[in-house]
Amino acid sequence: METESRKEALQYFFEKVVEPMGFKFTPDVELKDFLLEQEVMLETKHGIPFCPCQPVRHDRARDMQIVCPCIPFHRKHFDAIKRCWCGLFVHIDVIDPDSLPQLPPKDVGLE
Amino acid sequence: MKKVSLYTLSTCPWCRKAKQFFTERSIPFTYIDYDLADEATQARILQELDAAGATGFPFVRIGDTVIAGYQPELYSKALRS
Amino acid sequence: MNDKFMRAISTDEIAPGGMKTVELDGQEIVICNCGGTYYAIQRRCGHMNAPLELGTLDGKFVTCPMHCAQFDVTTGQALSGPVPGDLGNETLPPRVAAFLQQVGILMKYVRTESIRTYETKVEAGWVHVAP
Repeated sequence: METESRKEALQYFFEKVVEPMGFKFTPDVELKDFLLEQEVMLETKHGIPFCPCQPVRHDRARDMQIVCPCIPFHRKHFDAIKRCWCGLFVHIDVIDPDSLPQLPPKDVGLE
Repeated sequence: MKKVSLYTLSTCPWCRKAKQFFTERSIPFTYIDYDLADEATQARILQELDAAGATGFPFVRIGDTVIAGYQPELYSKALRS
Repeated sequence: MNDKFMRAISTDEIAPGGMKTVELDGQEIVICNCGGTYYAIQRRCGHMNAPLELGTLDGKFVTCPMHCAQFDVTTGQALSGPVPGDLGNETLPPRVAAFLQQVGILMKYVRTESIRTYETKVEAGWVHVAP
């Protein structure tokens, strides 16, 4: 299973999912590339492309919440910080992704 | 000198940046990559994350201060205080 | 002259995004309509042989209905393996548990292989395939 081909396929599928939610791939191409590569590795290991920056708990119900794109499960949080946790996706209007700090939910007034 | 410890993931670029932050400033720190740790350690780490309301990595402890996410300004602030 | 192509299916038999199985020269072949371009792949999933035409075609990617292995229909390349199923948290009856454990051991040897593709051409409203 070739990494580049898998990255291409993931991009194709993810784009269609995140766009209706008001997100897009980060304009930081290097970061996008790195994160997608990590996801391909995680998919090879676990059978599922998990977020490279959140813990796999081996608890199905909770692990489903970090399957990429995990935006629906963290909508309020990610809308507040205009990015997803690992930064693969950002709000559609974001031009400078470096300006978006990685804030946990409580730092934006959420649980 | 405050004790600095990190919980990180080997797959996470922000965790790498957090480690670099302390390395570049010659601040000693310990870290555990959650994904490479054994089950018992993983369970312990998850408990700490959940208690602090952190949903992802990096998870940084500087003295008594806990910071979730790559937040270099807060790291600096915690080191100074 | 011996033409390797065989007439397989008429172009109005598969809607864009659809798939249909034909048998040509003793081979089970699935024809995929990718936005008006036709591709032909082997019918059997490279993981555990399930019929791919019962899965889904999205763009040039086919997903197997059995365990969700994915393939590129233009190259036959296997892109991802099976997605692990969820057996829940309930305690299983001992014989079922033992059986699943045995299956689990053997499953570790199962690989997802790339699948065969076939040349296609469209002529006079018919999709032809070289089996």
